[in-house]
Amino acid sequence: MSSPKKALLLVGSPRGRDSSSEALGGYLLNRLKEHGMETGKVYIHPSMLTERGQAEMLQAIDRSDLLILAFPLYVDSLPAPVIAALETIAEHRRTKVRKEQKLVAITNSGFPEASQMDTALAICRRFASETKIGWAGGLAIGGGEALHGRSLAEAGWMARNPRKALDMAATALAEDRPVPKETVDIAAKPLIPRWMYVFVANRWFKNEAKKNGAQDKLYDRPYQA
Amino acid sequence: MESETYMKALILNGSRKGDRFLDAASDVLSHTLKGAGYEVDPLILRDLKIASCKGCFDCWVKTPGVCSTDDEGRLVPMKMMQSDLMIYLTPIIIGGFSSELKKGLDRITGALLPFLTNVNGEIHHPFRYKKYPKILGIGILPQPDEEAERIFRTLVNRNALNIHDKGHSTVVYRNDSHERVAEKIKALLAEAGAAK
Repeated sequence: MSSPKKALLLVGSPRGRDSSSEALGGYLLNRLKEHGMETGKVYIHPSMLTERGQAEMLQAIDRSDLLILAFPLYVDSLPAPVIAALETIAEHRRTKVRKEQKLVAITNSGFPEASQMDTALAICRRFASETKIGWAGGLAIGGGEALHGRSLAEAGWMARNPRKALDMAATALAEDRPVPKETVDIAAKPLIPRWMYVFVANRWFKNEAKKNGAQDKLYDRPYQA
Repeated sequence: MESETYMKALILNGSRKGDRFLDAASDVLSHTLKGAGYEVDPLILRDLKIASCKGCFDCWVKTPGVCSTDDEGRLVPMKMMQSDLMIYLTPIIIGGFSSELKKGLDRITGALLPFLTNVNGEIHHPFRYKKYPKILGIGILPQPDEEAERIFRTLVNRNALNIHDKGHSTVVYRNDSHERVAEKIKALLAEAGAAK
């Protein structure tokens, strides 16, 4: 396969443009643009709601050489609409011969350990294998929720490792190479120390509950048997 | 926990429409559970109106424990918390759960508290409730597939770890006889300490 020319970002977060998935995937997309690639973007959740949306998503995929799947970790796996999209893409590729393509996955979660995303990335890799799409690698950003929709530039010092990893990934992908292991390791480094992440997250949840007037209900058990 | 305490079994059926083998496996599962003394509550997720999780955290910080989307997705955590066993029954799709099963599971987040805590060296959410059901997974494959089975079993275990427990799973093949399916289910219940 010659060097990829068109890269498509598939944003797999229900928060869409305000998501960490968009921030991470969008950063990589911009770097690939600087490497001379054409770029495009599809939001999976709204696309999967209608037949037309699904058809347009499949057309965009068919036109692309490199697929970037960016999604948050939901219950140890991919969000349901993203799984539904992968099922749809797999079926689409089964019925027609498709051109050679590559897939890179970027996932983030509310847990600081990147290893918690191993299973989700194993599913992405398996999807690539079943659909005969080349696997270009998976990046797991531990504690990516801390970005909370901010761009990697806006996140400043905290996002230094994701920026470095995605810069390296862009260079490799633009040269049609898989993401190097060193890049995966850099991406896996926590955005902030684990103790600090836990402290900030717990305080954030309490503050949000207070803003909503729900601070006295935080421990409610509405479905207690 | 003694097996006598397991009395209610929730089946989260993640089958696709027209999957006769999985429907038959569901019947075998219900029959086997009833034989073991369970009250069985089968939830066929494809027949329910369940919107996808919005990632809004309302179930943590606005209406704690309850999803702000008022649809049949609320049944999943409600029935979960009223069960002793929660059994995933799903075709194994690219190693994981079907999107039908996953759309239900994505709506149970509020069953845990939002906060983060260390559980055996890994960060997880603390319990909202005193007691959670055992999680069992039954995956359906056309034939043996080492990688897909490994991913599936790991995923069930990871889900169980969220409630600080150990998961249990089995894989059924589409050419298994009903008797063989029943044997596998009985072995699964025994492994989980949930058989009479």
